[in-house]
Amino acid sequence: MVKITYIGSGGEEHVVDVDAGRSVMRGAVENDVRGIIGECGGSCLCATCHVYVDPAWLDRVGAKGETEELLLEEVCDLQPNSRLSCQIDVSDALEGLRVRLPEKQV
Amino acid sequence: MDTATEAQGDEAVYWDPYRPDIGENPYPTFRRMREETPLYYNEEYDFYALSRFADIESHLGDTETFSSARSDILEFIKEDIDIPRGMFIWEDPPLHTVYRNVVARVFTPKRMNDLETQIRDYCARCLDPLVGSERIDFIADLGAKLPGGVIGMLLGIPDEERDVVRERVEAALRTETGKPMEVSQATYQGEGYEAYLDWRAKNPSDDLMTTLLGVEFKDETGTTRKLTREEILIFVNVIAGAGNETTSRLIGWTGKILGDHPEQRRHVVADPALIPAAIEEILRFEPPGPAVARYVTRDIEIHGQTVPAGSAMLFLLASANRDEERFPDGDSFNVKRQGSPHITFGRGIHSCLGSALARVEGRVALDEVLKRFPDWTVDVENAKLSSSSSTRGWDTLPAFTR
Repeated sequence: MVKITYIGSGGEEHVVDVDAGRSVMRGAVENDVRGIIGECGGSCLCATCHVYVDPAWLDRVGAKGETEELLLEEVCDLQPNSRLSCQIDVSDALEGLRVRLPEKQV
Repeated sequence: MDTATEAQGDEAVYWDPYRPDIGENPYPTFRRMREETPLYYNEEYDFYALSRFADIESHLGDTETFSSARSDILEFIKEDIDIPRGMFIWEDPPLHTVYRNVVARVFTPKRMNDLETQIRDYCARCLDPLVGSERIDFIADLGAKLPGGVIGMLLGIPDEERDVVRERVEAALRTETGKPMEVSQATYQGEGYEAYLDWRAKNPSDDLMTTLLGVEFKDETGTTRKLTREEILIFVNVIAGAGNETTSRLIGWTGKILGDHPEQRRHVVADPALIPAAIEEILRFEPPGPAVARYVTRDIEIHGQTVPAGSAMLFLLASANRDEERFPDGDSFNVKRQGSPHITFGRGIHSCLGSALARVEGRVALDEVLKRFPDWTVDVENAKLSSSSSTRGWDTLPAFTR
């Protein structure tokens, strides 16, 4: 189990234990964290699992694939540290990862 | 009188998607199904149904066992209809994948939010003439006009043609109360859009039709090509058909639910920042598409029973949305509800392509209604609820305003 911190748009912190191998998106929707939708279930189609990765972690969450690169352009309020959280798999190396949730997904 | 659910007190639970008495309030029946028969079999119409959130979420993702290739509508699965190529909602991977990817980058959060000003203007045109009147109808005055207008806008259909288009699609898909859809309704392939396609091809603009005419994609054989004329017509048919009645239902339910829950409505009036959350809760509480169907391709064991290959399986999204394992106090309407998202738009590769558009339309419509009519009560006697096997909602939703 890996501790991931999701920071809501109002500043509230949710610390969640996520199984290694699950995506950061699933860690949120399966643990009652409001602010990520993830309708396509991780198929990189809907762009509603948008998160802002804490700058200290940005280089450590893995590179973006081509599909994510293209789809990321379609989120609301894109920032340099934006990622689609269904494309970030949790591992022990990500223990303590912090991500901030956007004000809105749609 | 609620004889149907009363009589069921001591009997085995019964549900089908056609009976108007069950359709009025299916939720007690769904609760019993989740508790007593999480895998339900209906002998009369020969289908299985799942009602729990966890079962629905996990099995919807199994597209090999639960195929969309015979459609996602119960009656058509039983009939084994011909699916026109390019009707991606009714295709499995790899065909579904290549087509869905063509349109996925058009119906995104960013692009749908870019339509907000136009959607707001459209709402104002619908609602301004009613200001000062004592009655509005959420369907006749808004739900019947806005979604079709927005789809028409997206597709590039000229203003004056949009009502014609909407009526044609509605007529094609309407079912008689209590009866299944006719098979002929599945085979409507969007021929009515040919004239617009030809005209738009000669007059390209910044719209979906122009995009579809010009886009190059890699098909399932690896060939890079443009869409054929038939494929474009199918796409347009799917998008126009899918985005009309469903979004109209969302607007109708907005009027009904916020009319019936005045304290909740007052929260939203007092704090318009609650509008997006209110729309999410309306979607959860009364999903316009309460169930989707799949064709079962192989024997599968669920809850200790075998569902045989060749069966039709219904996924009761409206039941999943009330499952207290996922939504504490799920039968309460609460615009301040926290926690995990609903499953109204489905889950997985077939999740609703238009969900971002539905959300933007829903929240803008609610915002514009509340600005002009912060208070209303539903004219229950004259409201008309209608259920098909694919959508459930109001055909008319008149309200007394103050």
